[in-house]
This record gives sequence, structure tokens and C-alpha cells, in this order.
Amino acid sequence: MSVLRFDNVSKQYPGGHVALADVSFEIQAGEMLFVTGHSGAGKSTLLKLIHLAERPSRGAVLFGERNLMKVRGRRVALHRREVGVVFQDHRLLADRSVFENIALPLILRGMRRGEIGKRVRTVLDKLGLAARERALPTQLSAGEQQRVGIARAVVCEPRLLVADEPTGNLDPTLSAEIMALFASLPERGTSVLVASHDLGLVKRMKRRVLVLDHGTLADDISPEDLADA
Amino acid sequence: MPEPSARIEPRPAPNAHSSAMGTWFDHHLYSLVASLGRLLGKPWATALTVGVMAVALALPLGLWLVLGNVERFAGQVQQSREISVFLKPDVTADRAQALLRELRARRNVGRVELRTPQEGLAQLREKSGLGDAIDAAGDNPLPFLLVVTPAGDETLLADGLRQLPEADLVQHDTQWRARLDGWLRFGGRLAWVLATLLGLGALLVVGNTVRLDIQSRREEIGVLQLLGATDGFIRRPFLYLGAWYGALAGALAIALLTAAGAGLQRPLADLAASYGSRFALAGFAPQQIAMVLVGATLLGWLGAGVVTGHYLRQTRPTDT
Repeated sequence: MSVLRFDNVSKQYPGGHVALADVSFEIQAGEMLFVTGHSGAGKSTLLKLIHLAERPSRGAVLFGERNLMKVRGRRVALHRREVGVVFQDHRLLADRSVFENIALPLILRGMRRGEIGKRVRTVLDKLGLAARERALPTQLSAGEQQRVGIARAVVCEPRLLVADEPTGNLDPTLSAEIMALFASLPERGTSVLVASHDLGLVKRMKRRVLVLDHGTLADDISPEDLADA
Repeated sequence: MPEPSARIEPRPAPNAHSSAMGTWFDHHLYSLVASLGRLLGKPWATALTVGVMAVALALPLGLWLVLGNVERFAGQVQQSREISVFLKPDVTADRAQALLRELRARRNVGRVELRTPQEGLAQLREKSGLGDAIDAAGDNPLPFLLVVTPAGDETLLADGLRQLPEADLVQHDTQWRARLDGWLRFGGRLAWVLATLLGLGALLVVGNTVRLDIQSRREEIGVLQLLGATDGFIRRPFLYLGAWYGALAGALAIALLTAAGAGLQRPLADLAASYGSRFALAGFAPQQIAMVLVGATLLGWLGAGVVTGHYLRQTRPTDT
């Protein structure tokens, strides 16, 4: 079953810069894949189109049965609740505790307080952050902050998790731990799309890889082909 | 394959979610607490904003209060105003008494008093201090005088009294009253114009404060939007913030004017007493205080709503 489909998607920003040109691909439910390419290749724009920070200039982005071109107004917010996003710079709210940061998406969904506490603590346990739930983001290391960002993205069990350079500032050991965590998500029904320019990391994960080059989809490499490469 | 749509179907999570009313209440409580936190977190900035708004509100409110008092004072003056009817010198005492009875019977006459020439002379002697000169003049030149207190339309009554064949002179200063009414109308209009302009000023003060607050929290708003916060969820704490500013400014404006009124009460009472009046300044009635507080709160809410709405429109996903 398809979770996400790009049909001949192009994105041109005001001013004329073409970030994506005629890109088509599909992500299946429970699939984990990478999108890679040099800086400016269009990775971030691709992710923005998925969580509706931007709209395509041409083509169609389908999220399940939903055409994102038709999603307007309040439904933009409802769509975003089904897509978990992890940023390289974490984007945690500095004046809220770890617990409050992770609880935010659940509060937005109108979840009961008891259920929020239960879910947040489960995720905190899984990510080894149980002892840090009352800490402020500024009191955490870079690795811990990234794990809080991931916890916030996965706490709602989204259909799709998109991560933009999630290991950019982390050491190799921590990067591997985070990738292992991402790799476990498809078992729980969450598809994962990771944007990364770290080719070593991408190769080690042995997953499907989309290669962007100057806004075009230069290659779509299967795990088998990657193993042979 | 079915036609793609924009339908949103949240993933089911039985018993995990509050009722719609519970969620609404929780979100409002969250916004209320968050807005209070922002107010108390920056006490100096809050005091400045509330102070500027309070002064902007106090000016038209003060004018409104002054006008209310002037109208009340004018009402007292007008109520005590009388029409003096000087009868012709040849009108006899019997005829004057007959006229007195006749006027008492009229429905637009509240009270009538007859003053004889002797009473008038005695009063003149007492008030002028020219007793010897008056005695030296010999005959009493003063006529009978009817002092009429109107019960209805006094202008109409004065016109009717002028038609009496026995009337020599009718004193009723309608021009003075018309001028006073004109000034009061002008003052009332001026108060509305000032209220509109300064109310707009207060709106802009709140709007600008909320705009600065939004600018300082852009990142947080962006994160909330990415997590799926609706415009309403993001807007609400700022609306509460504006409402707090408005309510506090309204309360401060009332407190400032009450303090000013208390300071003026004694000298004004002394001044009124020197004219034989017991006039005292009236402050805000409870319903007026409630009206001012509600109005100021709405003003703050509106200012915050306009600015937040503008910002949120700018952050919509762009179509190119």
C-alpha cells in the first residue's frame, strides 16, 4: 500500500530557482528509505512538500489517498499531525521541559492527560531519556536533544516520519543508535524517509536510496543494488 | 484506483482522546495559563504597555465623566430656573391674586409665587444696602411679580405668559439654555471622536506589543505549526494576552480617573458651596465600570486578533 507518491513534481521558488524538476517516486507502508544528494540538490524542498511547508508548482503529491494540492486551511494542520518531522537543529521549545516538548503533539490531538503521560513515558524509556524528563533542552547534550526531537516526532505513531539530516551533528556511535531506532519504526507501521548527505551512513543501512541532483531524481537505488555497489 | 481527495482521516485511538468539549476546554486553559505566564514573565514590559493603553483610554473616559457631571450640573441649574412675570403697574392686587389662581390651575405650571411691590421693595432694600435712598424716593415704583416654576415645556409656557394682557415683562433666558445645550452636544461629540481616535491608538499599542511578542516567538510558532497546531491554537494565547492587556489597562484607567476625581472633590465642593450649591463630582457607576472593562478587554482582544491573523496568513504554504 502506498503511503506517499510524487507524480512529476516540480517546485520553482519565486525568483526563478528550480528546487525540484519532474520528480516521481513512491513510498510503501512500512518502508524505510533515504534521500541523498549534495547541498542544494532539493532534499529539504522535497521534505517541505511532504509536510506542506511548501506546495509544488507542478505535479501531484499524494499522501495515501489524499492529494496534498487540495489540502487547505485547517486541514493543513490535520495533515501535519500524520507526518512526524525530525530536524537537524532539533527545534525544541527552549522554555519547556523534555516531557512538555514530547507531549505537545499529543496535546494538539486532544489526548487525555493520563494517556499523554503514559505515551510520553513509554517513548522516554525507549530512547533512554527517562531520567531527563524534567530537564530543559538547554541542559541536554546534542545527542539527547536529537533524541527528544525524535521522541516528539514518533510519540503519535505517525504514518510517515521524515528526518532532515538527523545525524548531522552527532558522533558515529550515536548516529548508528538513532538509525537503528528509525529502522525499528516500520515494524510499528511508520514509514521512514531520511534525508542525508552522509553516503557512508546511507550505505551501511542497506535501504532504498533516492539520489537527487540539481532538483532531478538522478537515481532510485534498491537495497539489493546498493549491496552490489 | 479511487480519485485522490483532500479528506483527512485521523488514525483511530479508542478512548485515548478527550471529548470535543474537553479538548476545547483544555486548549483554552493551556492558552490562558500561557498568556498569563508571558505577562508575568516580563513585568516591566507589561507595565509599560498597560500604562500607555490606560492613558489612551483615560483621556476619552475622563472627558466622558466630565460631560456626565456637567450635564448633571446643568440639569440642576435648569430645574431651579424660574420664569419671572412682571405685571403692569396698573394691575391691582385683586387681579394679581386672580392671575395667581389662574396660573396654579395650569398643567404646565409647577409652582407660582406672588410677590407684592412691598415685598419686592423690602428685598431690594435688604440686598442692595440702599435703604435710605429708597426711603427718600417716596412712592414704591415696583410692580407685582409672579415667579413661575415650569412643569413642562418652559419655552411654550414663557410664550404663553407673554400673551397675558397683564404681563409687562417676562424674563426667561432661553438663549443661555440653548447655548449650554449646544456646548453639551459638542462635548459629547468631541468625547466620541476622542474615544474613537484614542481607542484606535490603544488598539495599535496592543497590536504592536503582540506583534513584537510574535516576532520573538516565531520559531516556537513555526514548530507548533509543523506539529499540526491549527491557527486557532496558535492564535489563542495571543488573544488572551491582548485581552489581559485591555482588561488591565481599563482597570488602571478607571483607577487613575477615580484618583483624579478624589483629588478634585474637595476644592470643587468648596467652590460649589461658595455659590450656595451642594454639587459633588460623580464617579463611575458599577455598570459603567463593567462596560469600560468589557470594552477595553474586547479592544485588546481585537488588536491581538488582527495582528495574529495577519501573521498566520503570511505563514501559509506558498503556491507558486
